[in-house]
Amino acid sequence: MRGEHLGELEELVLLTVGSLTTEAYAVAILEEIVNNTNRKMDVTAVHSVLRRLEKKGFVTSEMGGATSDRGGRRKRFFTLTKAGRRVLDETMELRLSLYQKMPKLTFAVLS
Amino acid sequence: MTHSPPKWADRFLAWFCDEGLIEDLQGDLYELYIKRREQSGKLLANILYVWWVLRSFRLSALKRNQKLNNSFMTMTKNNFKIALRVLWRDKFNSSLNLLGLMIGITCFLLLGFYVKQEVSFDKFHSKKDRIYRSWLKEDYGEGQIFFNSQTPLRFESLFEDNFPEVEKAVQYIEQNFLVGRGENRINETVSIISPDFFEVFDFQMVEGNRENPLPSPNDIIISQEYAQKYFADNEALGKTISLQVGEDIRDFNVSGVFKNIRYESSINFDLAISTDNNRLLFSDRAMNAWFNVIAETYVLLKEGTSIESVNSKMQDVVLSQMGDTGYGDEAMQRDQYNIGMQPLTDIHLNPDIPLGYAPVANPQYVFILGTIGLLVLFIACINYTTLSTGQSLRRSKEVGIRKVLGAYKKTLIYQYLNESILLTFLAMLIGATVSYLLIPTFNRLTGTEIFLQFEWWHAGVYTLLVLIIGTIAGSYPALILSGFKTINILRGGSQSGGKMTAKKGMVVFQFLITVFLITTTLIMRKQIQYLQEKDLGINYEAVISTQLQASPSAQRLSERITSGFENGQLLKARMEKYPEISEVAMGTHVFGTSGWAHLAYTDDKGVFRWFRLLCVDANYLKTFDIDILEGRGFEEGNGLDMRQSVILNKSAVEHFGLKNPLGAKLPGDEFGDHQIIGVTDDFHYSSLHSEVEPLVIVMNPMPIFMGVSDGDFIDTPIPKLVFSYNGSNLSEGTDILKKEWEALFPNESWNFNFIDEQIAAQYASETRMNKLVTIATVLSIIIASLGLLGLSMLVVNSKVKEIGIRKVMGASPTSIFRLLAKGFSIQLLIAIILSIPITIYMMNKWLDNFAYRTSIGAWLFILSSIVALLIAFLVISYHTMRATRINPVESLRTE
Repeated sequence: MRGEHLGELEELVLLTVGSLTTEAYAVAILEEIVNNTNRKMDVTAVHSVLRRLEKKGFVTSEMGGATSDRGGRRKRFFTLTKAGRRVLDETMELRLSLYQKMPKLTFAVLS
Repeated sequence: MTHSPPKWADRFLAWFCDEGLIEDLQGDLYELYIKRREQSGKLLANILYVWWVLRSFRLSALKRNQKLNNSFMTMTKNNFKIALRVLWRDKFNSSLNLLGLMIGITCFLLLGFYVKQEVSFDKFHSKKDRIYRSWLKEDYGEGQIFFNSQTPLRFESLFEDNFPEVEKAVQYIEQNFLVGRGENRINETVSIISPDFFEVFDFQMVEGNRENPLPSPNDIIISQEYAQKYFADNEALGKTISLQVGEDIRDFNVSGVFKNIRYESSINFDLAISTDNNRLLFSDRAMNAWFNVIAETYVLLKEGTSIESVNSKMQDVVLSQMGDTGYGDEAMQRDQYNIGMQPLTDIHLNPDIPLGYAPVANPQYVFILGTIGLLVLFIACINYTTLSTGQSLRRSKEVGIRKVLGAYKKTLIYQYLNESILLTFLAMLIGATVSYLLIPTFNRLTGTEIFLQFEWWHAGVYTLLVLIIGTIAGSYPALILSGFKTINILRGGSQSGGKMTAKKGMVVFQFLITVFLITTTLIMRKQIQYLQEKDLGINYEAVISTQLQASPSAQRLSERITSGFENGQLLKARMEKYPEISEVAMGTHVFGTSGWAHLAYTDDKGVFRWFRLLCVDANYLKTFDIDILEGRGFEEGNGLDMRQSVILNKSAVEHFGLKNPLGAKLPGDEFGDHQIIGVTDDFHYSSLHSEVEPLVIVMNPMPIFMGVSDGDFIDTPIPKLVFSYNGSNLSEGTDILKKEWEALFPNESWNFNFIDEQIAAQYASETRMNKLVTIATVLSIIIASLGLLGLSMLVVNSKVKEIGIRKVMGASPTSIFRLLAKGFSIQLLIAIILSIPITIYMMNKWLDNFAYRTSIGAWLFILSSIVALLIAFLVISYHTMRATRINPVESLRTE
């Protein structure tokens, strides 16, 4: 069904939210992804993915306390919901089962 | 703060970003900005910040507009979603509906474009409401009326000097000139305009000075199209164009190039010189005359003044200015010399004022075509109405549930209107695109000249049309559906799909229009055929005519006519040598042109007389096979004939009241020596819109000219040469003409016309209208058939069980077909019967345009009824045949 499908970037962000537990706000997520995957990313993309995930019900968010170092603006922290957890589990399971079906050794057919 | 990003980017962010999102979003951006700035400096950080802000401009981050978020918008959105699903579910009916509406809209738009063009004539001038064209109506009683929209040359100063209300008066004259020097001069129409012409009208200059486009009499301005024609891609400004003026060839300097004048302009010219040349072109007498009509005079009123105050003073000014100038011997009386003003925008569609230089269209035709466009659109709306009312039964459960859940009747109506508007929108989208694409084809087929440029405000008009059409088409089904009783629906009872009479009435109405259109097309076709095939009393097949030129030194009209005949004689001698050319003749007028020389005088008994004059050589009547009823025709080499013989047509004999015309004279004292030698039958020399008028035929016009006091020459009386060609290939005939012409008159470009084409061209607007109506008829037949197809399917579907049971009981397929077709045939018959009086009434009005008209035969009605019935049965039979073949087991098994 539509809405439950998880895009590649969505999956990545969702995993990061889960792994950062209580410290998951956009900049931290961005840095985590950039550091781990070496891919070039932009904070606006993270924002847009987070909003999408929230709409689908995979994460929830709440505002943190006041800060001093970022123009006094508060942070928005994201946490994984049950549904988010479930969809991650399902995705992982699917990948794993497909992965395990592969023969241990695979060779490209040489031509 | 020390490190702050660009303020304007922040402001932009605050402007678009949703309030709930902005705090953390901006915070995140700040955090990254500060890091960036420490790493790579201010400039790069600023650029990146702006980039991030721009990238944040996404739909999901936009402010939620409260106005867009109310229940009305949400419901509308939901309605459209439901509507799309409904349309998608029943693809057959939806596509019938869509196709019908689309065809209706296309037809409406195409006819609408045509009507819009006709009614928007001259509306592009910014001062259009203050511009008037003057006309002159001399009325001396007893039918002595001279009514012209061309006026004397002195009117320009008459208006400017005597009326404080008049800001400006300008002249517009069209004359033909030979253009060029040396070989192949072209005969072109050149306009003569007042130097301040462009201050009244909004014509655009491309090059040259718009304030003073014609600084001197030796200047000429030229349209873009003609600049291309004469100078190709070279600069036209400053070049020379030579015109033959009187005996001289004069050089004119191109002082400006103007934008091609649009089609919707009554005043339409490609070359123009200044009225400062009038002294060269017209005699002193003409310049000061009160009775010599030459120019159209346009008047621009000052702002805030009214035309009534000009009109009220007109008679006093006229009488004081004219002094003792009078008509004939008597001084001018009050209300004999009337000057009137016609609004500029009224010119194109007002046939009551005589034709000037500006073309006039028949407003009746424009009205008819507009009405037909509306009717076809209306049929398409009815189509939608009947089809969706028929389908409404299927949706009764939906209505019931909605009502139980608390929907008001109003919301339901609104929902179903949304549906019809959505469908109309789709139909309009396709229809508008198709009509834009079809315009060239449409122009070619019908001979219209529609130019259309899309402007953005058109989109608004289309949207409005969508709303109107959608509402009209959808309102009845919406009312029916929303009126279902909840309790009945949910109990499982059946619902009546609207009152049967209303639905039947609509079907009848739809048929009525269709049958009406079919009959109309047939009658129009018959009349046009009648016009084209009526025996005109002349034989004009394969007759070619060519306009002769008078020698430049000939000044007076009679001299120019004589000179034309002399030139023609040279050409005639050469043409006669060819065996494939049988008859060569000359005459001042040929068939297929209107406005033959029109002369008038008051005879010795004080009776006002008028007639048309044709001046010919001895061969003319023979060439056209004109019957002589009494006396004889002209004879070659007969000195008497060349001097004074006169032939009348039958109408002229009656008009002059001659008992024994042969040997008699025309009533009147002042004619030169003349004698009537023959009477011809009333051959039709003008179009069949009007009756045959009195015609006087002579070889020498002088005796007649001596006796008349007034005349107008709308068709030039310079003679034409005609010859009939016997060979197999008509173009060889024109080739011979070209060869001989170029040998004789190397300086003038040759020209030719086929008489039969000219005669057919007189009915061009009727032919065009017939084509337009035919197209509309075909489309309306298609729309009506689509409706019928859908309706018959609905009827069949609702009777599947009945048919099954009847079959089980042993009904034959024919009896079932008869059962199903009966309902439709009754409606069709009612429509046919109702259409007859309407058609007869409308068509009689149309036929009143013609002096000679065909009868509306009964067989035309029978024919169109048969056509309509046949089409209807073909359409119905598709579904009914299918229904009769269904195995009753199939239809009765399911429940």
